[in-house]
Amino acid sequence: MVMNILEIENLSFSYGNPRDMYKKNVLDDINIRISGSESVGLIGENGAGKSTFLKLLTGLLELKDGEIRVAGLGLKKENLKDIRAEIGYVFQDSDSQLFMSTVYDDVAFAPRNYGKSEEEVRAAALLALKKVHMEDKKDRQIYRLSGGEKKLAAIATVLAVGAKLMLLDEPSVALDPKNRRNLIRILNELPGAKLIASHDLDFVYDTCERVILLSGGRIAADGGTKEILTDRELLEKHGLELPLSFSRGCPC
Amino acid sequence: MSRISDAISELHKLDMEAGKRGWLQGIHPLPKLLVTLFFLVLVVSYGKYDLSGLLVLGIYLIITFVLGDISVKLLLKRMRIVLGLVCLMGIANPFFDREAVLILGGFAVTGGMVSAATLAVKGVFAVSASYLLIVTTSVEDICYALRALHVPKIFVTVLLLVYRYIIVFLKEVERMTDAYALRAPGQKGLNQKVWGTFAGQLLLRSMDRAQTVYDSMMMRGYNGEFYLRCKRSAERGDYLYAAGWSTALLLIRIIHF
Ligand SMILES: Nc1ncnc2c1ncn2[C@@H]1O[C@H](COP(=O)(O)OP(=O)(O)O)[C@@H](O)[C@H]1O
Ligand SMILES: [Mg+2]
Repeated sequence: MVMNILEIENLSFSYGNPRDMYKKNVLDDINIRISGSESVGLIGENGAGKSTFLKLLTGLLELKDGEIRVAGLGLKKENLKDIRAEIGYVFQDSDSQLFMSTVYDDVAFAPRNYGKSEEEVRAAALLALKKVHMEDKKDRQIYRLSGGEKKLAAIATVLAVGAKLMLLDEPSVALDPKNRRNLIRILNELPGAKLIASHDLDFVYDTCERVILLSGGRIAADGGTKEILTDRELLEKHGLELPLSFSRGCPC
Repeated sequence: MSRISDAISELHKLDMEAGKRGWLQGIHPLPKLLVTLFFLVLVVSYGKYDLSGLLVLGIYLIITFVLGDISVKLLLKRMRIVLGLVCLMGIANPFFDREAVLILGGFAVTGGMVSAATLAVKGVFAVSASYLLIVTTSVEDICYALRALHVPKIFVTVLLLVYRYIIVFLKEVERMTDAYALRAPGQKGLNQKVWGTFAGQLLLRSMDRAQTVYDSMMMRGYNGEFYLRCKRSAERGDYLYAAGWSTALLLIRIIHF
């Protein structure tokens, strides 16, 4: 049997006081399984609950209802450190994600925290930078990077711990077409499971083989990328539009 | 608002200068910190009328400025307020201590004048030496050296985080003042009426960003200690630097000119 990197059962979530009767669930009875090498797009309009969902998986938001297992480990306080070694979370805002002064120091931050020797840290950091084609920029000051480079550096910081599941929140936002293409290429080169939250359906089309459509906190559809992203009726019903590449009439 | 972006770019510039590849920048941070601390201790140790002896110690600064190719002009510009203040520290001394210690061409130099000058020089020396350390060493490296000297980790972590959060905070201020200025053309500063909302927004926003930074640290296994490590360990040249300067400075202190 193929081991699932992520298993989610009956996950519901709402912000604020759980006893507030009038409050609506931001996520409602979510069930998902993702295997070790899948690339999954999590789509949905603004406010659908994508970011909330990703934060729950990382333990940054407290799980109240339902069950989450990452690489077989139940999401609990005791397991957080181990789980976070398996999960790489790429924030929407790379500026806040990166906080050391140079690219290298930022990428080396996580392996150092996991008690690696300085040689191992170095090897891990350089390998991670190589995977995103940023080796030559390792000594750059973070604030001098372009938006696209910051995103790649942020990805390198999570690759450096050898995460098996990568969560990306709106990775294509604020990237110009060239950086966007570059990011697509790099993501497609990376092995391991990916969960990409985005409302940029063209981006999802280019990077994912499976798509989960989130709407009003529920899973409205879960299936092959092509099957879902070409279903105009389904998408429009949930506040989304056909990817540009299809609406132009060129499903190439 | 340009003053804020200036402040941000000054901080970045400091970071960048410290990251430059230079002779002084290349020295291991620990000996640099030790020599700086030693220099500061010696500066303080001079008596209050010992101006001439103290001035000789300035050799350290001159040599380091020259060897490190550090701009004195920039030091004066950046530190002008602090330097101005330290120069004024002993301003009252001449009024209390009127005993002449030297007659120079009919002009009586009083003890108060000498002690005021000595105090001012001490202040300028201390500021310059700290400045030298800061422009040639990154914050992370200074913190690393402090940890190596067994300064408690809480202080070092706070120092590092304050430095990081100041930039986060200033950026938020910049963003908001820019947005304000764009919609309030021809107005100088912020209208008093918006100060309250502005401060409140600023607090919320910078807390939000600080939370993201913290989340990002937690996601990467942060557990209360910054594992600061130097890019390399200290080598013979670094030991020589520390030993050389300590001996030289000590000799200057002992052999009184
Ligand atoms: N910190 C928060 N406190 C309360 N409500 C929140 C918070 N963050 C998000 N929400 C609400 O949760 C819902 C889902 O938000 P989010 O997960 O950010 O959606 P998405 O990322 O899909 O745009 C939205 O209705 C939003 O208003
Ligand atoms: Mg979001």
